[in-house]
Amino acid sequence: MNTPDPQSSPRLRLSRRSRATRGLLWGSLAIVLLVLPNLVDPYVDLQITLIIVFAVAIRGLDIVTGLAGQVSLAQSAFFGIGAYAGAYCVDRDWSAPVGFVAAVVVSALVGAAIAVPAVRLRGVAFGMVTIALPVLAVPLAVRLRSITGGSEGRSVPTITAPTWTGLADDQWHYYLVLVIGTVVFVLIHNMLNGRVGRALTMVRTNEILATSLGIPVQRYKIFAFTVAAACGGIAGWLYLIPMGFVTPDALKFTLSISILLALVIGGLRSALGCVLGAAFYVLVPNVTDSSQPGRSLLYFGAAVLLVLIFLPDGIAGAIRSVLRQFVPASWNGGATSRHTNGPTDSRTAQPEPPTASTVSTHTPTEGDAP
Amino acid sequence: MQALQQVTDGIVAGSIYGALALSLVLVYRTTGLVNFAQGQMAVVSVYLAWTFLDLGMPTAVAILLTLAASLVIGALTERVLIRRFERRDPLIAIIVTVGILTFGNGLIVYIWGAALKPFASVFGGHDFAAGSVRFTANDLGTVLVLIAVVVVLQALFQFTRAGLAMRAVADNPESSALSGLPIGRLLMAGWALAALVGAIAGVLIAPKVSLQPDMLDTVLVYALAAAVVGGLDSPVGAVVAAWILGVAQNLAGTYISFIGNDLDIIVPLTIMVLVLLVRPQGLFGRKEVERV
Repeated sequence: MNTPDPQSSPRLRLSRRSRATRGLLWGSLAIVLLVLPNLVDPYVDLQITLIIVFAVAIRGLDIVTGLAGQVSLAQSAFFGIGAYAGAYCVDRDWSAPVGFVAAVVVSALVGAAIAVPAVRLRGVAFGMVTIALPVLAVPLAVRLRSITGGSEGRSVPTITAPTWTGLADDQWHYYLVLVIGTVVFVLIHNMLNGRVGRALTMVRTNEILATSLGIPVQRYKIFAFTVAAACGGIAGWLYLIPMGFVTPDALKFTLSISILLALVIGGLRSALGCVLGAAFYVLVPNVTDSSQPGRSLLYFGAAVLLVLIFLPDGIAGAIRSVLRQFVPASWNGGATSRHTNGPTDSRTAQPEPPTASTVSTHTPTEGDAP
Repeated sequence: MQALQQVTDGIVAGSIYGALALSLVLVYRTTGLVNFAQGQMAVVSVYLAWTFLDLGMPTAVAILLTLAASLVIGALTERVLIRRFERRDPLIAIIVTVGILTFGNGLIVYIWGAALKPFASVFGGHDFAAGSVRFTANDLGTVLVLIAVVVVLQALFQFTRAGLAMRAVADNPESSALSGLPIGRLLMAGWALAALVGAIAGVLIAPKVSLQPDMLDTVLVYALAAAVVGGLDSPVGAVVAAWILGVAQNLAGTYISFIGNDLDIIVPLTIMVLVLLVRPQGLFGRKEVERV
């Protein structure tokens, strides 16, 4: 992995012009996303809705893997738990917000329960403990028929658009998922651009130094894993909105693997990367599996290996470096707001060393939330 | 005497986990990595064996060819892919192995298709009974082959120059390089050897589960558990742990009604978590001490 060279990344101020450029970019993206459902057919709506759903799950994993530096293969379990919690609440005739809270709370609790023993291990062992969760969850979901509906899973009635909106159901689903997904991304962005993001970066890059500086390493890892679990749960709940069903397949660790690979293909430590990875995950099987189911795995594996060899920062990283070639003037490299002290400040949570620290100290809402 | 039967079945199952756990340990000892693709590489080997047998080759020739091909697959994987990521961020190296796992699965679907293929035991189809305990020739062969593999590996590491060199590289790559050991070739040898042992595991289990692209996914989880419980750097530990897990799983699945056959995977995973909590270096592993 390419960690930024401390020499080239002092704290830099994001110039007004570049801030305006960024605002313009995200503003136009927001407008495109808002008007899109009126221009395309329901199938495209569904695809974009699913991309947002999986982007939330991938962003969650990014907190554990990208920020805290631990491989986790448990994300599918949280995705499934969130979906099951939501479906169970619908079955009980509880309102949708109750289902949402249940999805978040249950997946976060399970995440914390796994994280507490797992963080005692450093390095590879953490990933091996997390693999236990999806592997256990699938037979458990088949067994607990009264809650999960057994191997057939659970389905929920289609959410219909309220009449005052004048929207078709698929457009309503799209907007619901878009709004909740955006809120999640903004919240994560704000969280990572402050103390938590810096602490997690420290934990990843130099655990011993982090400990000696008084950062409670294990507590931060548990926290990261719990937030990731909650994001997985939210994604699972969101998945119910367009799809309307959940089966034990949602828990399988093959989904965890796909989420991990999608994250790496899109780019670690980048909101844009998570969205691109989700797009890759959702769209590629449409193209490749039409001739033979399962072939997408070949392209997935090949893509991740090629990306790791040639684009270590993923597609998002490649886009960023291309952009930087064309708009170097928008970065005002001279104005240092504070001097760095050691690797802490130079390697901030954001993938883009020059912008990260300034964004974090001045305008936390601006940045790369969709 | 159902219990005795369960113990026997557990040892047979444990021997399969143990064989794959051994290849995980081999890779860990040489490169310090956990290779999530170990099972998938073995599956590719088994499909090759199926192809050789399908072409009408005698069993012995087909198996020897398969083992040779596995050595090449292992060595090439290390040389072409892993080498780029060694001694750098272990997170990325592990993700690379996950990528290889996915790629291998897709490749098998691409070449051979996803349909089940039957795979006959290389030991023939005889059944034996000792008292009330029944087992097949494949069961007996599995246990004996595993024991042979452990003995050979242990001897290799203890009594040969190559084994000593591999241990040195695993222990301290920099000093080994300075004293003239060919690090790259030794790492390749480690991966080749691991792929060979993995292929043996695959050929042994194939008659039980039939050939399919994800046939070793579950076995990989057991093998990981066994390797962790045994201590990631101990071949003997991995095998003993695999037997313990196999027997515990079979007994619990039979006698604890809540667990049953569908949830028996809970047993090895619980044992793994408990061992990690009490003794993170595993039952037979050495404790890692890091100098600050």
